[in-house]
Amino acid sequence: MTLTDQSQAAPSAPAADTAPPATAPPRSTMQVRKRSGDLEPVDVNKIVRAVARWCDDLAWVDPLRVATRTISGLYDGATSAELDRLSIRTAAEMTGEEPEYSRLAGRLLANFVRKEVAGQGIASFSQSIALGHAEGLIGDATADFVARHARKLDDAIDPDADRRFEYFGLRTVADRYLLRHPTTRLVIETPQYWLLRVACGLSRTPAEAIAFYRLMSSLAYLPSSPTLFNSGTRHTQMSSCYLVDSPRDELGSIYERYAQVAALSKFAGGIGISWSRVRSRGALIRGTNGQSNGIVPWLRTLNASVAAVNQGGRRKGAACVYLEPWHPDVEEFLELRDNTGEDARRTHDLNLANWIPDEFMRRVEADEPWSLIDPDEVPELPDLWGEEFDTAYRAAEAAGRIVRQVPARELYGRMMRTLAQTGNGWMTFKDAANRTCNQTARPGNVVHLSNLCTEIMEVSSDSETAVCNLGSVNLARHLLIRPDGRAEGVDWARLRATVATAVDFLDRVIDINFYPSEQAAASNPRWRPVGLGLMGLQDVFFALGLPFDGPEALELSTRISEEIYLTALETSAALAARLGAHPAFSQTRAAGGKLQPDLWGVTPTSTARWDALRAAVAEHGLRNSLLVAIAPTATIASIAGCYECIEPQVSNLFKRETLSGEFLQVNGALVAELKRLGRWDEETRQALKRAEGSVQGITGLPEETRRLFRTAWELPQKALIDLAAARAPYVDQSQSLNLFLANPTIGKLSSMYRYAWASGLKSTYYLRSRPATRIQQATVGVRPAAPAEDAVACSLENPESCEACE
Amino acid sequence: MLLDPGMELTLRPMRYPHFYDRFRDAIKNTWTVEEVDLHTDLADLRRMTPAERHLVSRLVAFFATGDTIVANNLVLNLYQHVNSPEGRLYLSRQLFEEAVHVQFYLTLLDTYVPDETERHEAFAAVENIPSIKRKADFCFRWIDSLGNLDELRTREDRRAFLLNLICFAACIEGLFFYGAFAYVYFLRSRGLLNGLASGTNWVFRDESMHMAFAFDVVDTVRREEPDLWDDEFEAQVSEMLAEAVECEVQFAEDLLGGGVPGMSLTDMRGYLEHVADRRLELLGIPARYGSANPFAFMELQDVQELSNFFERRVSAYQTGIGGQVSFDDEEF
Repeated sequence: MTLTDQSQAAPSAPAADTAPPATAPPRSTMQVRKRSGDLEPVDVNKIVRAVARWCDDLAWVDPLRVATRTISGLYDGATSAELDRLSIRTAAEMTGEEPEYSRLAGRLLANFVRKEVAGQGIASFSQSIALGHAEGLIGDATADFVARHARKLDDAIDPDADRRFEYFGLRTVADRYLLRHPTTRLVIETPQYWLLRVACGLSRTPAEAIAFYRLMSSLAYLPSSPTLFNSGTRHTQMSSCYLVDSPRDELGSIYERYAQVAALSKFAGGIGISWSRVRSRGALIRGTNGQSNGIVPWLRTLNASVAAVNQGGRRKGAACVYLEPWHPDVEEFLELRDNTGEDARRTHDLNLANWIPDEFMRRVEADEPWSLIDPDEVPELPDLWGEEFDTAYRAAEAAGRIVRQVPARELYGRMMRTLAQTGNGWMTFKDAANRTCNQTARPGNVVHLSNLCTEIMEVSSDSETAVCNLGSVNLARHLLIRPDGRAEGVDWARLRATVATAVDFLDRVIDINFYPSEQAAASNPRWRPVGLGLMGLQDVFFALGLPFDGPEALELSTRISEEIYLTALETSAALAARLGAHPAFSQTRAAGGKLQPDLWGVTPTSTARWDALRAAVAEHGLRNSLLVAIAPTATIASIAGCYECIEPQVSNLFKRETLSGEFLQVNGALVAELKRLGRWDEETRQALKRAEGSVQGITGLPEETRRLFRTAWELPQKALIDLAAARAPYVDQSQSLNLFLANPTIGKLSSMYRYAWASGLKSTYYLRSRPATRIQQATVGVRPAAPAEDAVACSLENPESCEACE
Repeated sequence: MLLDPGMELTLRPMRYPHFYDRFRDAIKNTWTVEEVDLHTDLADLRRMTPAERHLVSRLVAFFATGDTIVANNLVLNLYQHVNSPEGRLYLSRQLFEEAVHVQFYLTLLDTYVPDETERHEAFAAVENIPSIKRKADFCFRWIDSLGNLDELRTREDRRAFLLNLICFAACIEGLFFYGAFAYVYFLRSRGLLNGLASGTNWVFRDESMHMAFAFDVVDTVRREEPDLWDDEFEAQVSEMLAEAVECEVQFAEDLLGGGVPGMSLTDMRGYLEHVADRRLELLGIPARYGSANPFAFMELQDVQELSNFFERRVSAYQTGIGGQVSFDDEEF
């Protein structure tokens, strides 16, 4: 196909009500069993009509192909419900050849869900809420609110908004987010009822609820999963993250932490917990005159406890353990996720993070020894950072209060090895986290750890567990689109409006939230932190044609983060004027007039607004001590149908693996570009698959296309770090920054993480890498004539016989 | 030459460095059964239809013995004839992997089939389930075809060796197992049996390597002894694959007999024929069927995975990472 105009090139799909198509459909002798129990011959035309209803604006979809392929997968005597479900899956499976099939499958699924809801006699939003309340799912306050405003709220429902979902997003929603009847297990809310229910759980007036519903249903913003799961229900645990300080070095405290972690996990919270205060292996236990077994056995118990908690069947509990690298058990800690060695010293379900002081990195750089110190002996280290830490650490060394020394580089090398082999053992930086944190203006207020995803940086203590509730702006829905369908820039006004609404609703969660532990309840109302993040940055770059590592991308990305942070502060100041500053405001850096750009020493662009903001903060304070955190958005980005947070795409063609199953995802922007170039054909699809989603080897593509559509594996990771460092002055918490190296080596990793530290980042997240070998692809033709990789690869084992070098 | 009888011990200079490279790659893929989390599978099994449960029970019964058969053939027939120490390194590694697979499926069966009598029946599938017995008979016939040869002296011996090797690589690992993988991935594409699927992912990756190594051996032998290969030989291989397809189709008739929406017998046959064609193409033999792959969910296996780390263990990491700490590596 060589036509360049998409609308001309599109095959003519039958209009919604005109069937059958010109070619005669194949005859079938198959029968289906209807709900009445009667058998009826399978009618291709009937399936074609059922599909074509949803294709009015999907020019590239062929309903006949969906129908015939559905029948091909059917067995004689299947039920009509099985037929419906199969047609949805069949359409979804055709996404690989044409992304519009994902839209079709989403619509078929939405229709299926709506039928399931209606089949229980639920004809409106308010009826759905009433049933949910009667069944003990919906909370009294929300049920009452909806009953009082039933008509207004019912009228606000926009069933057409379901059309915005891609199949994968809606499948996730249907399988895990929609409330189900406790006994029949049928869903009792449609996707739109669900979003309005979430909005009602956080609103005081119908107008507020409807405005918030419209924002979410436009997919321009989504709160994080716990809010989407629990808002409006009887268990309003809506926070994503809990940061639990290390247990004190005593039995009672350790067991208290297990109980707290279990309670926090139960309602979908993710846990970060430090273990730096607990004595190491071989340390004396005075009570029994025995020696400690160190932290590993305790972490094994934590592992078992976390794995046992099932978050309402929706996902397993999850926790990340933080340890400072001076802890004498650090080497065993780094092996906790190895898949070899004694299983009694492994914790396969815990995530691991290193909480690294600058002193360690300096010694790595200088190739000096590093001292391992028992917290039993020097208990103050976890509470110190910056120069105070350096002084105390060196004093302990000078006094000989150490367990032993190791070369700093050797330990650093072990950290790198753990990252390469498990992706875990995240590098997070204690001094950077404290230096610019708004909460650490006063001594004694210390950030002791981050959370499960390394983006939350809040102070904690033995009696205060830090809490954060999150939400993310979908940048892909904040583009200015020209009449010809092309994007021309960011819609700043819309972005400001979204952020203002988002911050208002994140702030409300703090008061409505159910706190599963007293330590969590003690912290959150004082500091009122929230974590507004973003997703779809890659969508914006694709839409505007900006390569991820180009200067324009860096500038735009930084500008977006400034706009989000500035607007969030403006909103929080306005909330403070109305409702009062958060109680601990006087203890913050903001109270001393220092906002993030000041602490980072950068000059923002919107100077007049920053000046006005400073005046407002000086007068009213801020409602929230922290506002911005860039979370991974793994699940909500798929619901919104955009790329995850600040990440580059991992591949132009990949599958998502989730609890709901596996789903093929194709880069829609690339497909549109290839269609424009007349290259979206079977040959290109096979080539793309063979190259595991890379376009670099596809012949005849313009250089700029190749450059734009590089994958995370093909981008210099420096660019990801540089983008993160440039936006850091507008992120008062931190960022879940994944890094990607297909074939990591200790050398590459040590350089990369040193660069990240030197750039001032507070944290990094997973190291992603690739398997050493690939499967034999089952559905791709055997590699054409081109020589096999093995043949050209230089074998250092036998240089004499290596033809590649001759 | 590779098939010359003997016990070559010299690794330097290395005659077949590509075998050694494969050995090293395989080591990077090390995984253990303890990493597989089967706990959600039991809940899935309870909510599956009787027809689907039948499919699963037959499938695991096949798995229970399949890898053991492959391992036996490796020891009894292949190892002694591949006269290259680096090739034998790879085969030793493969043997370890087969053992891990056996352990995985053993653990799986113990978990899936709590009733002891049923469990014993599953492990005895080769004797008492006809559709599995037929596949096993096919394997045994080819194991026996080489059973009496201590040395590959004649052209006929060597052709028999190649046929055995191709049978295990293309028909058993490359077709029977690929059939089995299709059922597993079909279920996973619908969110079912994630534990089985994550273990199978790793098995699949290993089997792909085994097949690639075997084909590498075939290519090497063909280069060294071109006269072993002729039209008659090709016809034999093609016939053998056709027989394997029929074996696997009758297995599918058993598995799908209860009616499983989304996986019809017609489609399964098409898939198997498609896979058989790929194997023939890899060997440079004309495709036999010309069938297209009807299973879109198998395409999913051919592309990169992106897991939600909250929900799944990720299988993409390597072991045995090398190198020294340095700060001037610019390649990141």
